[in-house]
Amino acid sequence: MSYKTAVIGDMDTATGMSLAGATHTHVHVKRDETLAKLNEFLTSDEIGLILVTHRVAEELGFEFRQMMRTKRLLPLVLRIPDKTGYVPKVDELQETIKRTVGAEIVVKKEGG
Amino acid sequence: MATALAVSPTRMELMKLKKQLNLAQRGHDLLKEKMDALVMEFFEIFRKIQESRTKALEQLSTAYRALTNCFALMGTLETVQAARETRRELQIEISSRYLMGISIPAVEFGEIQRNALTRGYGLHMTSSVLDEAAREFERALGLLVELAETEAVAFAIARELEKTKRRVNALEYILIPRLKGALKFIMMRLDEMERENFTRLKRIKAIIEEHR
Repeated sequence: MSYKTAVIGDMDTATGMSLAGATHTHVHVKRDETLAKLNEFLTSDEIGLILVTHRVAEELGFEFRQMMRTKRLLPLVLRIPDKTGYVPKVDELQETIKRTVGAEIVVKKEGG
Repeated sequence: MATALAVSPTRMELMKLKKQLNLAQRGHDLLKEKMDALVMEFFEIFRKIQESRTKALEQLSTAYRALTNCFALMGTLETVQAARETRRELQIEISSRYLMGISIPAVEFGEIQRNALTRGYGLHMTSSVLDEAAREFERALGLLVELAETEAVAFAIARELEKTKRRVNALEYILIPRLKGALKFIMMRLDEMERENFTRLKRIKAIIEEHR
């Protein structure tokens, strides 16, 4: 199956990504609107990848995490930094590892 | 913790329990092996993610810089307009494959990079900085798609790992101790019955002797 990409983020991100070929873009203004749009993207069958800027993801907060937990395998959702290069300090993946693997994460950090 | 199951102390029950315990132990060993394999897989993926993440983020910041340049030289409105006119859309192929019983996405994509003519915006109104920005973003998007795939795999593995761990723990700390407790209870009880019987026989024998 072939899929399209969608972007949710600020103006710059949306513009840049649509220059690169993303089909669906949404510029985040209001929280409710963005949530509705995200829901639409998630339930759409033609979208395979959703890029969300970290800032927006953080602003959506709980609902966003809830959606991530309940979504199907597709679309994939990736959080990307926006123009300012903003990346949250707490890495979700690190958190997951800490939760699942436990103490072994420290070993990995030093090794990798 | 290991509260014994309510069982009747019979030989039948004992045999049944032994079978159950065997099964539980075998399941436990298998799950533990699965968990170890998953952890190894997970670390492999994790290393891959860190690599491709640094690459993708660098490319992305280059792309943002190019875009800012474009905004400055061409004007914001014009750039946004050009972005809106972009025609060819990126198609990514996603199929799912199986890794140790977990379905994970496998992403493939065709040519992300296009030349200026196929991008779709009019050339006479736009400047070369726009082409530059578009090219950088195409590159960034390609890396991001890859990153998204690996991250999705990592999360799928993590979820499975959590599930497996929970199962292993349930077996190890609840079911197996319980079965063992029940086994012990039955054994003790059977031994006790044997001893009772023995003393009873002795006693009867003594009474019979007396009466003779």
